[in-house]
Amino acid sequence: MNHLKPEEIVDIAEGTRGEASAPHLSTCDICRAQLREMRAMLSTVSNVDVPEPSPLFWGQLSTRVHGAVAAERPRRSWADLWTWPRALVPAAVGIAVIVAAVILGSRAPIQPGPAAPAAAFNAGNNADALDAPDDPSLNFVADLTANLDWDAASEAGLTGGGSAEHAVTHLKDAELRELARLIKEEVARSGA
Amino acid sequence: MTPADPALADLDEAALVEACLAGRPGAFDLIVERHRRSVYQLCYRFVANHEDASDLSQDVFLRAFRGLKSFRGHASLSTWLYRIGVNVCLNRVSVKTPPSESIEEQQFVDVCAQSPADRLLQEERGARVRAAIAQLPPKQRATLILRMYHEMSHQEIADVLGGSVGAVKANFFHAMGNLKKLLGGFEP
Repeated sequence: MNHLKPEEIVDIAEGTRGEASAPHLSTCDICRAQLREMRAMLSTVSNVDVPEPSPLFWGQLSTRVHGAVAAERPRRSWADLWTWPRALVPAAVGIAVIVAAVILGSRAPIQPGPAAPAAAFNAGNNADALDAPDDPSLNFVADLTANLDWDAASEAGLTGGGSAEHAVTHLKDAELRELARLIKEEVARSGA
Repeated sequence: MTPADPALADLDEAALVEACLAGRPGAFDLIVERHRRSVYQLCYRFVANHEDASDLSQDVFLRAFRGLKSFRGHASLSTWLYRIGVNVCLNRVSVKTPPSESIEEQQFVDVCAQSPADRLLQEERGARVRAAIAQLPPKQRATLILRMYHEMSHQEIADVLGGSVGAVKANFFHAMGNLKKLLGGFEP
């Protein structure tokens, strides 16, 4: 004799399946007893409510959650910063160097050719812009590279696409020392 | 806590979640306000005492806030919160067996038109059943609570707990059998 499966008893007790669909019930006292008990327990359990807390509790709960979420926000933003892809850092350095090289190229023509856009720019009517007060940091970079010609810049890798970062990160020890000396000197001079 | 922006109150569930993600002040407060009762009741049914249910409810909302970006809107926000709630409660009950409250400790404010004696009797019955539910094995407990008190279908429960509909029904069947044993000769 195959008794009803638990799923079948649940379906019949909940009313999603009729007793007529299980003829076994009419001949099996065990299954009928299980179905009866299941129905009784459904009735017992369904009549039980959660005790209502004090009306003040809901406001307190909201306040607690609000405080916990507020405490979470700063931590989350710092965590987000920490999880920035590390590849962005060298990329940012590279972009900064490229921008500096472009600015310097436009301010101090190294080898002006007849059709060079930079030469056209410098020969154009930008005198007012060049006479405007300069950003001290740009002056600093301009001073450092005043004697740098195009060939030297190319050799240093500053003129090739995507190679500026390589140039910065592959300085020799002596070059690094010289760069550090120049930076210290300039910082001392500017009183920063 | 500042009161929720009145304009937020008109937003539907999806728009409210968007507002939260956009950092609109008060948006998450409104989610809490809308769902705090059902989340608290879910937690209370698991642990059968107010203090733990209160702590668990806070934990549920905090986890919801952290995971709001992962809410895709495939299920309702309440179902998503129940899923978090069940996980939080299952984690808690796996490390701690909470003490259920005695009837004197519970803060009833039920004002139904029963005589004091009848009300006391009903409260006592309710407390016994809640305490018995809180002693069921965790999955059986979760199944019974979601089915009986949160009107979730067997399929929804299967989605929340993982597993098949058949397994959910079997869990429910065994939960009722075990509950009957725990209640002993208790007459409803």
